[in-house]
Formats: sequence, structure tokens, C-alpha cells
Amino acid sequence: MNGQFDFLIVGDDEASLVAAAAAAKAGARVGLLAPADRRKRARAAAPAIPNFVWRRLELQEYDLTLEPVSARITLFKDGEPISSFANARETAGALADSDSPDHLVWRDFLDDMAALASDHAYGPSGFTRTVNGSGAPAPDSKAFAALLADPAALDRAARLFGPCTEILEDYFSDPRLKTHLAAHALGGVGRGEREAGSAELLTEFLDPDAWRVRTPKDGPALCVVLEQVCQDAGVEISADKPTQIAGAGKFAMVSFGEEEKVRVKHIFFATPDAARLAGAADRRGGLGQAAHADFTVRFRLNEGAEPPCGDARAIFQIIDDRDDLQAARDAALQGRLFDNLPVEFEFASNGEVIARSSFLPAAFYEEGEWRGWTGQDRQAVAAIIKDRLASRMPGFASLIRRTETELGAPPVGASIFAGCDRVIVQPRRHNAISAAVKLIDQVMAGDE
Amino acid sequence: MNDAVKTARASKNAHRIEGGIDAVVIGAGVDGLTAAAYLGRAGLRTVLAGAGPEIGGRIAARDIAPGVVGIDGEHLITQLDPEVIDDLDLYRHGIEFAARRLDTTYFFESGRVLRFDGDLTQAALLSLEDDGDREALEAFMGDVLETAAFLRPAFHPAGFPGGGDNYQRALEKTLGQATPEMAARIRRYLFATADDVLRGRFGDGPLRALLLAETSFRSAAAPNEPFSFMALLRRYAGEAAGLQGAAAYPKGGAVSVVTALRRAAQAAKVDVRAATPIKSILIEGDRVAGVTLLDGGQLRAPVVIAAIDAHQAFHEMIGPEIIDIELQRLLSARKPEIASARMQIILKGVAQDDATRKNMMRRLVYAPSPEALTAAFIDARAGRVPERLIVEAVFPTALDEGAALDKRQVMSIIAHPLPFDAAPDAARREAVRSAILDSIEMFAAGFSGRIEAEDLRLACDDAAVARASAGAFAAKPGVMQQWALAAAVTGSARIGGFYFCGPEAQIGAGLSCAAGRAAAKAALRAYKKGAP
Repeated sequence: MNGQFDFLIVGDDEASLVAAAAAAKAGARVGLLAPADRRKRARAAAPAIPNFVWRRLELQEYDLTLEPVSARITLFKDGEPISSFANARETAGALADSDSPDHLVWRDFLDDMAALASDHAYGPSGFTRTVNGSGAPAPDSKAFAALLADPAALDRAARLFGPCTEILEDYFSDPRLKTHLAAHALGGVGRGEREAGSAELLTEFLDPDAWRVRTPKDGPALCVVLEQVCQDAGVEISADKPTQIAGAGKFAMVSFGEEEKVRVKHIFFATPDAARLAGAADRRGGLGQAAHADFTVRFRLNEGAEPPCGDARAIFQIIDDRDDLQAARDAALQGRLFDNLPVEFEFASNGEVIARSSFLPAAFYEEGEWRGWTGQDRQAVAAIIKDRLASRMPGFASLIRRTETELGAPPVGASIFAGCDRVIVQPRRHNAISAAVKLIDQVMAGDE
Repeated sequence: MNDAVKTARASKNAHRIEGGIDAVVIGAGVDGLTAAAYLGRAGLRTVLAGAGPEIGGRIAARDIAPGVVGIDGEHLITQLDPEVIDDLDLYRHGIEFAARRLDTTYFFESGRVLRFDGDLTQAALLSLEDDGDREALEAFMGDVLETAAFLRPAFHPAGFPGGGDNYQRALEKTLGQATPEMAARIRRYLFATADDVLRGRFGDGPLRALLLAETSFRSAAAPNEPFSFMALLRRYAGEAAGLQGAAAYPKGGAVSVVTALRRAAQAAKVDVRAATPIKSILIEGDRVAGVTLLDGGQLRAPVVIAAIDAHQAFHEMIGPEIIDIELQRLLSARKPEIASARMQIILKGVAQDDATRKNMMRRLVYAPSPEALTAAFIDARAGRVPERLIVEAVFPTALDEGAALDKRQVMSIIAHPLPFDAAPDAARREAVRSAILDSIEMFAAGFSGRIEAEDLRLACDDAAVARASAGAFAAKPGVMQQWALAAAVTGSARIGGFYFCGPEAQIGAGLSCAAGRAAAKAALRAYKKGAP
């Protein structure tokens, strides 16, 4: 890898691959740094690939089949699970079947949330024409002034960036439905229901582009296809790790060892996970909420595991009580573990159960001191997550053949990315693929 | 004519219809007095109707112990609108500052103390050893002051009928003048959490704890929430005694501002009527037509300004059937969770040495550690009284010669954050009292032994004095929520001739009067056009 690049995209997840291919197809010179050691793992379901991305990447030319997950299901401590589906009519029907009075407002709710989400002009990037810190032009004074002078627009912005509790209370009466929506909207992101900014996650989670998809077991994996798309689009892929990064005006100079150096306009992370893996701070670009850690456990199982509701294609959330979301977030902020951890899990195409919780502290606070994660902490969290799954799937613990854990915590100590203002990190998003392509487009438009 | 005579006249006038009035202002707090004074000076025959027996709303002088008069409400001035001071000539009407820019001392959980000669805006720090920290603070406060001053117009109440286009044009002009550096700063600060901004600038040092405390003080937005940093910009956009960011102490306490406003109103020939509770606001067609008094009488007027809380004004006096559903939703959307408490403590003894005497003439702030502050907001939101609180303390008896006592001192305290409680029981009051005293003991060990008497006031107590809804005195939410609510309530439900300048119209805490001025000016614009 040498010369000058418009984008150096770091990460091997689907959003990074799509962002790289989309930028290259739009005429940018793109380098992709994808760690080689993670490619063989079974993948969790990815966000949907919207039509505009499908067309731009010409995915119809590839042997790619995607299956949407069947449902989002919440498994409560007591009582029947509750499900929602990609199809609004199907969800409304399921709510009606379960005698929930809220089936009547479900479609209005989706329409209203889509309208609210479309007010993205009020978002962190909405007042500016470029994303990077240096050389940014004045904020769009008309947009900001219009917002402050328009009560209706301010109301929408306040709702969008407020807590999702208010919206859920406004529309629904069924406490289980409210818990279901909050758990799925916030569970993967580790936010509390009463936390400012959680409403934006709710609207994003309801975006059709946030419905997750998988490739069938006998088809090529999505990331394999996307890697091919990248190569065909001229993306230069490397498994090298940068060793030094220096800002240089409108460019950053990225070194790989002693000899190899490239000039890049933008270093781009499509997900906070990719940023963390590379050792970059993941708080740029979002609303700057306090960081948390994500913890993933992969359970290899013996034959005979029965998925809840008999549905191995769904995404499940485990939650005991609606207040647990905020309580778990509060515990994470205070640097401690929460026992009734909300956990998301799914059955991967190879039969593994991939379970994940985002309500974990970035670091632990004990006896007046902060400390990092230890092996014991990892074991403790893995045990909690295993117990949580066992509480919803009787006999689950006895079927476990092998357990593998992965911690996604903010990097500790010096980072080669620190101080470089050419770094863009997309915050965690339910619709990470479509959002990454839109962000790439926005950055390229700003460059022009 | 004194208040008693007017009250007697009012009772005789029960069921009477009184005409010939140009404007009625409901609510005799500082914003009501301000609005009435502006209208009176413009030549409108104005009646100011206050529900309680006293003028001033929650800001009032009161005996808090035998022979000791305390001042309820605010104990410092940080936001008083300079235009109001000039327009109403408040210095001529008696406002005088005992201290224009209080020096501040910060105390930390670790036992460390930082003394500022002046305040943070001057950053003449007496006791910070690390020059790097000093330079970082000076640079940061320079950014904050410049950005706050630039954004000042954005913190003014905005939604008044007829003001929208002008306001937008003025804001466009201001924001369009942003340099690239200012633009980048605004973009970063607008949505940011205070924790994120301050961690990046000050790491884990005491300056981070200090600034987190200043940012979170009297705000319902926890420092790790989006928009929380804007609370600091709002605070430093204000000025007192002509000094941006200063905390000033007026002679006679905040009640002297009420007195000056009242004199300004009376000089403007405003008919100030205490003990004149309003039952409802008369709406005829899509216009306001006056008010109905509780005794059945009516004051007919083409302009009504409500300087009371939004729940009273829109739900009780106008009626939910008239206001639109969006305003109703906004008014009931967020239940208050966080509040501050005011405590006045009478301490036995006098300062024995010059150093102590000088310390008592400073603003004293206890800044909990960032971890304790996070825990405090979590506890308060869950309805629990936190273990550690931010405490701001001043000694009126040391600052103001006129308030000095013999062998005793009054310590005035505002503590934050506490759970909002509309009807606290004795156990809750005791828990709040203990938490405040414990936090003070953190920086003044043994102080509890000198307490002769104490007086605790929670949000609901202020509301009772002002005859308002308790929620109106809860801590202000994040700035975006405040903007939304202020714009909606000042939009006045699109009732012609009706204007609102209650507490919900104000962005940020503190005694400001800006909402009263803005409401009166909007009313006058319309009145002069012949369409109030």
C-alpha cells in the first residue's frame, strides 16, 4: 500500500466493507485495513443493505442471497414472549392476537417515527457541511436560526434527542410492548431508556434499513461477497496494522513499519467496534455519551438445542423488567456489573449462539479507583450471560461444548489515532450500512 | 395607595367589570413586574395582579429565626438582563451591588482547595500549582466566554407571536458571522456531554470536577447527557453588574431587585394589586379579552401577559380545550425528576481572624468527584437523596453590611441535585437536610456544632409561596428541551393579545427578567400596530 488515498477504512465488518466499496465506486481511492485473524468466525446478523446501496454496488452481479431475520422477540421473566416483524401489518396482527390495544396505533407510530427520523438536519452533522474538524465552514446559520425560531421544529428536535420513554408513553399503553421496543432499540447500544438521545435510537431501530439480515448456510457469506465487491471496485485491501499516524494539514500520514507510508484524507471507521479493535477512541461523531463496553459470548452447542419459540432465525432480547435497561446503564456508568443484565442473542448459521450485552462498564470503579478489565471480570460476565440464556432456555447450560468471549472496551492508554483530526468514527447505529454510505457521501461532498 | 387599601377596594369590587385597562399582567414575580413596567412606560394603562399578599413571587424577605431575616429565592445574581437594567433604570430605582464579582473557592472530596481571585472567567488562580493546568483553564474559559457571548441571542425566549421572522433573521446574521474556529466549537459544544468535553480538556484532575459541578449545578441534565455542556455556556452567557459570567451580591439580597422593579413599575404608573387572584383568562373568539378574578369580577383588557407557571396559565386559566394538543403534550411530556434545595443556616459566633472573614466574603462551592456526581444524578432520578451534593454557599451577613448580625452569621446555600418531590414528608426533608449538612461538613469540618437555627426550602415550598405549580421550580432540563418548551409556551397558543413569560419561558436558572421584557416588547409591537 503506498501513495495517496482519499479514504483509509479500518475494519472488516459489513458496514466497513460496504463503505469502502461505495467510496471506491464513487471515484475515491480507497484503502481497506481488515484484520486477517477475525475472518473465519461466524457472523452475527448484519443490518440490511438498502436498495440504493444494492444498486450502487451492483450486488445483483454477485451470487448473493440474503434472508431477513424472522422476528425480534423479547423473552420476559414471566409471561409470554412478544414479537415484532419486518412487516407492519404482521406486527399489528400479532399485537391484536395478543389482545394488545396498541395494535391500532402501530402503523401511525411507525409513520410518525419515520417522519421524526427524517429531520436529520437537526443532527450533529446537520448544521455543517463537512465532518472533519479542520477547515470546517460556518455552521449552516439558516438551518440553526430556523430551528431556534420554529417551535414545531424545536419540538421535533427535542423529541428526537430526548429520552425514548416519553415517546413510548405517548403512543402505547401495553407495558410489555414498551419494554419490547426499548429493549431492542437500546439493548445493542447500551443506552438507558430515560437517557437523552435514546429516542433517536428508537427511530433508527424502526428504520427498515435496520432490520437485520443473514446469508443462508449454504450460500457465500455476506462479508466474502462484499470483499469481492471491494476488490472489483479497486479497493486496496491490506491486513497491515498502522504503526504511526501524523496529521499533515488536510492529510494524515499513516506509517506501516519503517518503510511504508501513505497519505490519506480521511481515516474512516464505520462502527465503534472497528475503532476499538484498532485502538482508536470511539466517541467522535456521536453525541458524546459516556462510554461503555460490549461483551460477546459465542456458545458452541451440542446437538439438541431448542431455540425459544422454536424460531432459530429470530433476534432475541432477554429482560426481566423495563427498569432494568436504565438500571443496567446506570451501573455501567458507575463502573459496576448489573446482575439482571439485558442480553441479546441469536443463533448463527453454523448453529453457534452469539450472545451480547452492551450494558457493561468501560472500566470498573472499586474503592475509589478505576481499573481495567481482568480475566476474572470476563469470566464473571460470561457466567452471567450464560445464566441469563439458561433462564430462558431450559437445559441450555448442559449443551454448551465450548465458549469463546470477546470484549469490546474503549482503548486504554496512548493511541496512534489520538490527536489526528482526519479520523471519522461513525457512532453505533442500527442501520450502520446505509448510514455509513450516507456519511461517506457527505464527507466526499465536503471535500469538493 | 398601599396594598391593604387596594385589597379592600378589590373586595368591594367583587363581581364588578372594570374597563379602560390596556393590559393585565398576571403574576407579581420579577418577570411580571418587568413586563408591567415596560407596558406602563409605553403609556399603556396596566394592572399587575399578584395572587399572594406580597409582591415578588418566591423572592421574599422572611423571618427565618427570631431576629433574623432571610431572603427566599435566589441568593446570587448571575443572569440579570442588562437591557432591563438600562431600560427600566433599575440603578436609579435602588439596585446596588455589595459585591460585583465574587471571588470563588472550590472544595473537593480529596480535601484539596482551589481559590480564585475573581471567578473562573478571570482565572486568576491562587492555589493551582501546575502551570499547565492554569494555562489549560485560561484557554478553555476563553473559549467558553467567547462562545457563550456569541450564542447569547440563542438563549433569549424566541417564540413570541410576530417575533419569529425578525428573530430568525437576527440569529441568521449572528450565526453567519461565525469564524471557522467558532463554527467548529459550536458544532462540538451544541450536542456534547459535559463529561466528554471536560475529560478531553482536563483528564481526571480537579479542574474537571470543578467544571462538572459548575455545569451541572441547577440543571436536570446529568453531565454525561447530550446537550449538558450547553448549560455551562448558558451560565456564562449571562452577566451580573455589567460583568459577563460574574456572580454578584446585591445589597439587601435578591429582594432588592424586586423592590427596584416594583419602584420602576410604580414610576410607570402601573396599578400593582397584591392579593388579587385570577380565576381565568377571558377568551372571546380567537382573542384575549381580559381576566376573571376569583371574586367574580372582571378586568377587561385587550392584552394579557401571564407571568405565572405554564400549568396554571394554560391548563387552569385558559383551559385545555382551547390550547392545541401539541402544547398540551409538551406541558405534560416530561415529569420533573431533579430539583435544588435552598437552605439558610444561622451560625453562632463571629469570624476570629481576617482570613476567615475574607473567606466568608467569597462564593464557596463544594464540587463532588465526577464519580460521586454521576451517582448523585442516578440517585436523584431514582427518587433517592444522594450522598454527596454540589453546594454553593455565601454569607449574606458578611457580604452585606446592612444584613450583619450581632455574634451570628447567616450562611445561604443552594444544593443540587436532589430528587424532585411535589409533596415531601418529614422523613424526606430530614434526609435532604442531612445530605446538605454532610456535604458542607466535607469542606467545613465541625461546622454543624455551630448551627443555631436552619431553614430548608424545597421546590414545593417556593411554589407554595409563589402560589405556583411545584414542577415550575424543578431544575431545568437539557437546553434542547428548554428551547422547545420555551418556544411553545411563548408561542402563547396562538391566542391574540396573550403573551407568556412564566418560568418555562426562561432558558437556564437564575433571576433574569429577560422573559418579562421579551413578552412586553412583543405585546407593544402588536399594540402599536393596532392588533394586540
